[in-house]
Amino acid sequence: MPSRVTPSIRNLADLDAIKQRVDDARKKCEFHVAVCAGTACRAAGAETLKSLFEDEIKRQGLKANIVVDDCGCMGFCAVGPVAIINPGEIFYQRLTPDDVGELVREHLGQNKPVERLMFHDEITGEIYRTVSSLPFIAEQTLVALRNCGVINPERIEDYIWRDGYRGLYRALTELEPRDIINEVKESGLRGRGGGGFPTGLKWEFCASAKGDTKYVLCNADEGDPGAFMDRSLLESDPHAVLEGMIIAARAIGAHHGYVYCRAEYPLALQRLQTAIDQATEAGLIGPDVFGTGFGFDLEIYKGAGAFVCGEETALMLSIQGERGTPRPRPPFPAVSGLWAKPTVLNNVETYGNIPQIISHGGAEYAKIGTESAKGTKVFALSGKIHNFGLVEVPMGTPLDKIIQKIGGGVPDGKRIKAVQLGGPSGGCIPAHMLNIPVDYDEIVKAGAIMGSGGMVVMDENTCMVDVARFFMDFCQDESCGKCTPCRIGTRRMLEILERICHGEGREGDIELLESLATTIKDAALCGLGQTAPNPVLSTIRYFRHEYEEHIRDKKCRAGVCSGMFKSPCQHACPIDTDVPAYLALIRADRVDDAYRVLSETNPFPSICGRVCGQPCTLHCRRAQLDEPLAIRHLKRYAADNAKHDPVKELPTTRSEEIAIIGAGPAGLTAALELRRRGYAVTVFEELPEPGGMMRYAIPEYRLPRDVIKKEIDDILATGVELRTKTRIGRDILMNDLKKDYRAIYIATGAHQSWTMGIPGEDKPGVFGAVELLRQFNLNQAPKIGRNVAVIGGGNSAIDAARTALREGAETVTIFYRRERNDMPALAEEVEAAIAEGVKMEFLSAPVSLQSDNGHVSAMTLQRMELGSFDSGGRRRPVPIDGSDYTVSVDTVISAVGQAADFACLEKCDSVKAEKGKVKVDRQSRTSDECVWAGGDVALGPATVVEAIQAGRVAAQEIDAAIRKANGEPAYVKPARPKIDIPYEVEEETVSRPREAIPELAAVDRIGSYAEVEHCYDRETAIREASRCLRCDGDRGKAE
Amino acid sequence: MPGSSTLDRVSSTGQAQSIDWSAVDREIARFSGRPGSLIPTLEAVQNIVGYLPAEVQRRVARGLGLPLSKVYGVVTFYSFFTMEPRGKYQILVCQGTACHVRGGAQIMSELQKKLKIGLNQCTDDRLFSLHSVRCLGACGLAPVVMIGKDIHQQVKVARLDSILKSYGWQR
Repeated sequence: MPSRVTPSIRNLADLDAIKQRVDDARKKCEFHVAVCAGTACRAAGAETLKSLFEDEIKRQGLKANIVVDDCGCMGFCAVGPVAIINPGEIFYQRLTPDDVGELVREHLGQNKPVERLMFHDEITGEIYRTVSSLPFIAEQTLVALRNCGVINPERIEDYIWRDGYRGLYRALTELEPRDIINEVKESGLRGRGGGGFPTGLKWEFCASAKGDTKYVLCNADEGDPGAFMDRSLLESDPHAVLEGMIIAARAIGAHHGYVYCRAEYPLALQRLQTAIDQATEAGLIGPDVFGTGFGFDLEIYKGAGAFVCGEETALMLSIQGERGTPRPRPPFPAVSGLWAKPTVLNNVETYGNIPQIISHGGAEYAKIGTESAKGTKVFALSGKIHNFGLVEVPMGTPLDKIIQKIGGGVPDGKRIKAVQLGGPSGGCIPAHMLNIPVDYDEIVKAGAIMGSGGMVVMDENTCMVDVARFFMDFCQDESCGKCTPCRIGTRRMLEILERICHGEGREGDIELLESLATTIKDAALCGLGQTAPNPVLSTIRYFRHEYEEHIRDKKCRAGVCSGMFKSPCQHACPIDTDVPAYLALIRADRVDDAYRVLSETNPFPSICGRVCGQPCTLHCRRAQLDEPLAIRHLKRYAADNAKHDPVKELPTTRSEEIAIIGAGPAGLTAALELRRRGYAVTVFEELPEPGGMMRYAIPEYRLPRDVIKKEIDDILATGVELRTKTRIGRDILMNDLKKDYRAIYIATGAHQSWTMGIPGEDKPGVFGAVELLRQFNLNQAPKIGRNVAVIGGGNSAIDAARTALREGAETVTIFYRRERNDMPALAEEVEAAIAEGVKMEFLSAPVSLQSDNGHVSAMTLQRMELGSFDSGGRRRPVPIDGSDYTVSVDTVISAVGQAADFACLEKCDSVKAEKGKVKVDRQSRTSDECVWAGGDVALGPATVVEAIQAGRVAAQEIDAAIRKANGEPAYVKPARPKIDIPYEVEEETVSRPREAIPELAAVDRIGSYAEVEHCYDRETAIREASRCLRCDGDRGKAE
Repeated sequence: MPGSSTLDRVSSTGQAQSIDWSAVDREIARFSGRPGSLIPTLEAVQNIVGYLPAEVQRRVARGLGLPLSKVYGVVTFYSFFTMEPRGKYQILVCQGTACHVRGGAQIMSELQKKLKIGLNQCTDDRLFSLHSVRCLGACGLAPVVMIGKDIHQQVKVARLDSILKSYGWQR
């Protein structure tokens, strides 16, 4: 530490002189390099950067006047370590020691800023050179954070250079205490620690309290998990807080103050102490501030690791050397606080705003914000967000603006689910409500609280029940134990939540949680207990379905509650495939056993190995290291290469006959399962071949016909009767079926394309994607034009587009109304389409079609921009007025959605349909007790593997219903021969990417329906399977 | 002495450790006479001894003129005070919201497996003790693990071995 003497500051002239000196010094230097010295950047390695810069400047012999200095955190933690070089406030990010040489040589040596190290937009590649231009900063309004990243926090002169301590000067020399309070009242400032109590009012109460000894306290015990606003402010601009406290002292008539700072903030403590020392040396803290005779002394009190000491009465008891257990109020601290004297306690950020308010006036401050919430608020943005860090915005800013424009949205293409505000006292705001403004009342209406400023973004992989459990665990741990509602109540709530997260939830648990929550909120002694139930209530309010899934289905859709499942991949699979088991068997080169494990739950492993959307990979934990496993491709490898035991016809042991309508994956799976249970099964299929969507929608280059035939033949070989070219509702009526069959399963799928609902759609040349693909697969395809437009972003759109290219179209363009990341189609399908030459236009939707000579000839579209989030976590497309444009087309394929047709229900009223789906209960039963339904016709358009699950469930339910009606005992599944699963994991996990998928070169795919994806060979498959981390641990050892 | 037997049973040092009583007394003297100084005194004393066993608490109580029950009450209330010895390097795994959302719980269980100790326990060689800490305030760098004074950010399970080895860990 260089020796320095703080100049004495007695009047405005002294402040002016210091400001001038710093200004002159800054102007004299040719370059000023500020290296961030905040906790976060230091953790990322910034501590050595300053000296590296200095050494390098010396080593390169640069003669210019260059100053290298520490600066405080400017908030952009996501890209640290950070440095800012003036003139020009050039912003550098993610600096490593290796970058210093280049920066010194190029920027400082030759005035050539280094673009490589600047902030680049991830998608457009655009470079943002200056701090103010950064999207992260440009949308912020810096009031409390105005000095952060600009000044060296360990030099009081820098603070004064930024007009520091002028507010204090005005407060002491130009205003009476009464006036100070009025300015604060006029500003509308409300406590920033979470309570939101009007600051001016609080000071007024204390000022009018009787007593000569009063205290000013700063609550720097920022304990909310997810909050680091106060830490940053204390590290980066501690004088702003001190100045605010001294002004407060003057206002209420106090001469002593404490900053109660948590011990977990060592850098903040050190910077605060340095600031206090320098302010004391300057005379700004001491017996005679600014020569007015006003005296004030200030001490730091270090916390000792108790969250509850952030509660004001507990904090005061802690300073008094006691256990930090809150006490009831009244009396309020303003009247009787520390040592029973009148005390003002305010939060760090609250004090940080005071100097500005006194310098420029309360009315000026009140110009920003809303009616009930004035000024700005600092948020600590963290969780699943690109640009995490500190953000300061005017009150009234919509939340989704903070998430999208400043935060840069959710990474990895995930969908946003909710935002947690207010830490363990707060609640979550679900995706579709994120357009609410930052405002105390609006947020309370939504069931959360503003809180201290913690804003944690959660995506589709966050389990909301686990979030509630996490916060309750925190509150339980931190409960001081004094009052029964909190001490016992939070424990009971935690026990229930833990049971639910372990798969032991019971009916009635949700109601019990709600009832306990109400009691605790009413009866707890302090804010900790009173707000502890909030996260639970908030998540139940918006995510009750997740609680219900945990309790009833033992399902955690986010794949987080590991107490409920063996591995996240298996849990994500709709048919519960034992993924780690078959991967382990492939790794051990036991491919026949791997196939047996697959077949236990999947009658179509070869098909799924080619077309499954693999929800398992979305939860593969290997992704945290490098890339998820190629689970689907390994499934295909096993299914294609295993020796298949020949399928024997199964005996019919029961008298009941079951009819299944539709030979798609749902129907055929149900057929197989019922056949295994001894029923006679007849499947009716209106098309010439069985297979449903697999055969008549998915194109051959994705799924060869012989693969389908083999797996369906295996099912039929068990003795399932198949009657093709038979349409129920036309050739045979439902009511007639009911006479001959004991039960009927409707699995007719969703084979009708939605119309686009635009004029001109009825003209020749316009097709529905599903119908068109079916016609191709029936070899009855109409002639496709040369200039094809496909509307939509799902798998059908991609299938139609890639097929159109193969059928000879010259240009195929997909028009999608959202962005590429939002497309529901599988990412690899989108990539394959682009590789084959399909063009894609995003943020466009058609408004009308024009025709020429009775045939479609042109399409008019409107451009879209993305607005607020919908309940699915995607942003809504909003048309841009006047953005219409027209393209010429001769073929338009609509792939915007699919619906079921209910032709099979002709003349049958007993089966009810609702909102385009057959209505079924949790047992897949329709309103007719002899008819069940499942798959796309009851679920809405879904996937092959979901249809398999539907078929399996339906078969179980049909069998159970029949047995129950007969008074028979439940079905007992015959024991399978045990397959021993080896347990092998690497000693040391080394990062290596997924093995490349072999495929047909794009150039060879033109005009060909040959299968595009090829199978792994044996060595590659074993290598890829070895990447599995065996998240099931050794629980998977015995099958 | 009345009440002492219960307190003695709580602290289980086992090893005889020589305590620098003169340094302890110096710290107590520094703070005595100032109201409300119990917590800073205990912090200073814990920095010398490493933890606060019964005998040390008794010394502090006598030195500050406070009942032993009060000192014990404060020691057991605040998580920074410990009656058990801690490792040379305290591993603090942050269990704050952002860290939790980004895999903090997994890091904790991995460390327990690797070091073969439970929460708040010390390895046999007294090299590491494992604790969870509430939010270190570096949420931007989740998941965070603090070892000694070093903050490790965006920690992945695969990196744990090399991190531990850098503090002298041998498997």
